[in-house]
Amino acid sequence: MSGTGTETIEIPDTVEELFGEEETTTDAPWIVIVWNDPINLMSYVVLVFQKLFGYSREKATHLMLQVHYDGKAVVANGTRDQCEADVTRLHAYGLWATMQKDR
Amino acid sequence: MARTRVVRRGEGPTLVITLHEPEVTLLRELARDVREVVVAPADSGPVSKRLFPSAYLDPTEETAEAAWQDHSHGELVSSRLAALDALTATLDAAQRKKRDLFELTLDADGQAQWLGVLNDARLIIGTAAGITEDDDHTNRAFDPRDERSRQFVMYAWLTELQADLVDVLLGGLPD
Repeated sequence: MSGTGTETIEIPDTVEELFGEEETTTDAPWIVIVWNDPINLMSYVVLVFQKLFGYSREKATHLMLQVHYDGKAVVANGTRDQCEADVTRLHAYGLWATMQKDR
Repeated sequence: MARTRVVRRGEGPTLVITLHEPEVTLLRELARDVREVVVAPADSGPVSKRLFPSAYLDPTEETAEAAWQDHSHGELVSSRLAALDALTATLDAAQRKKRDLFELTLDADGQAQWLGVLNDARLIIGTAAGITEDDDHTNRAFDPRDERSRQFVMYAWLTELQADLVDVLLGGLPD
């Protein structure tokens, strides 16, 4: 970028102003994804969803079937910290879970 | 002779598991094997990656992944070791009912710990043996001289025990 050096430089007041709107998406909710794997039993996955998230049998079964047939399902969302905690709990039960920004 | 159900409801919130003596011995050995894998330094091998997967797939989250690993890996190792200790303790407390039949009682914590250990054992054996969605190897003839064949039989037995435990536990949860 070229310039004459005579303009006034405006110092942004906020991080958002400095980096632009895109960076504010770090505050956007995150999602937790469970991936299909050939080992975990379908009934076990339903049990884990009910126990960890308090989901009804119907919702837990729906999510399990989505994992099984589509290869993955979004099972929870929240802040980065909440999702990291959920991923850790799912890993403790041996489910293959990852997290990413919700976009 | 038909076998009685392996897992049944006991008094209050407890569950009772009935096992033959060789199965009790097998579970002790499995617990030792699982422990070895859990305490081994994490590596990039399939078993280690399956037991301790990454939280982030996005390579730009490398720093977050490292920070998450830093605080969660130890936590995941300790909860697995605690479950292994608990499983071994319930095996020690198993009561002989008749001849080679043993009964052991699990409280709510014990049930979760058993579930965890059985699942870890299946993840370890299944991953090492190359179980896939299309082939769980249960329809192959057993060859006792073949190590993989022995793994598949062990895997099938663990699957049956875990499925039995899960069925009873699902029965205790709301629809």
